[in-house]
Amino acid sequence: MSNQNYYIPHGTYWPVIGSIGISTTFVGLANLMHDVSWGAPVMGLGLTILVFMLFGWLGTVVNESISGTYNKQVDRTFRWGMSWFIFSEVMFFAAFFGALFYARILSVPWLGGADNNIFTPELWEGFKATWPLVNTPGDIGQGGTAFSTNFKLVDAWGLPAINTALLLSSGVTITYAHHALRKGHRNALIAWMIATIALGVLFLGFQITEYGHAYHDGLKLTSGIYGSTFYLLTGFHGFHVTVGAIMLTVILYRIQKGHFNSENHFAFEGVAWYWHFVDVVWLGLFVFVYWI
Amino acid sequence: MDIIVIAIIIVILFSLGSALVGMLRGGKKGSDKMFKSLRARISLSVFLFVFLMFASFMGWIEPNNVLPTQ
Repeated sequence: MSNQNYYIPHGTYWPVIGSIGISTTFVGLANLMHDVSWGAPVMGLGLTILVFMLFGWLGTVVNESISGTYNKQVDRTFRWGMSWFIFSEVMFFAAFFGALFYARILSVPWLGGADNNIFTPELWEGFKATWPLVNTPGDIGQGGTAFSTNFKLVDAWGLPAINTALLLSSGVTITYAHHALRKGHRNALIAWMIATIALGVLFLGFQITEYGHAYHDGLKLTSGIYGSTFYLLTGFHGFHVTVGAIMLTVILYRIQKGHFNSENHFAFEGVAWYWHFVDVVWLGLFVFVYWI
Repeated sequence: MDIIVIAIIIVILFSLGSALVGMLRGGKKGSDKMFKSLRARISLSVFLFVFLMFASFMGWIEPNNVLPTQ
């Protein structure tokens, strides 16, 4: 790459393949939701095309990077690209945490008559503004509850604490991996990366177990505002841990291939930051859902 | 007690943000800043977890683990 001012990419077919993959996925999903028999296989085909595109396109980028095609300008664009991705992620979780705070601090107390809503309790007699919200206003007239009153939140020192310890440990191991990479200690780097991935997978296993308990005890996505915010936040967090673990695995593969050195390892930095971010989101969940 | 926990979380978020700035800057300086900020972030997070365990053990803070109305 001789031109230091700007990088003009070569022609490529991967964006077109990506578009076909996304379109096929959504055609399949829409039909699946209408119980059309071919919905699921078409969606599966679309996802397969998407995965194929990701391998192909990202593989091209990796090959271009290690062959020295990229200059400093391209390095800056990668960093900015990562920053916009992170911005969208922060906004994504900010919206969900915002929904949780709005429901807990404002809307549920208002329904119970807080602030200047003195007449609200007249509309739903017997409504109690509590958190977790056991009786939604809609349940009062029906004589039911949002979820089984036998349900108890999993003890904060049970699985949630084990999961927090696991994820924080993975934060420690990736920090050691980062240190090893900066010092050029290859074997230590690989060992710490394997430990980080293993802790992430273990976290997901325990999270599935916790969902099993919660569902068995009657807490569902349809269990009022408490059930929906609980599953929305923890579910999307779990999805992010899954994506993070996949990205860490790819980085581990690239480390073994010798793609990084102690000075040039932006892909590792991007994934490490993402993992720390997912870790902080969980810490926020642990504190605000189970403690405060 | 809630205020202390929230204050630690704000400092953790600040460290994470500082690491992001380092990563975006790049180069030797940016890389150093990123690593140091992430190290501070994980140290504070582990401290918060241990602090919560200790505060709970001492009875300073109670988890929301039981439904208030049965």
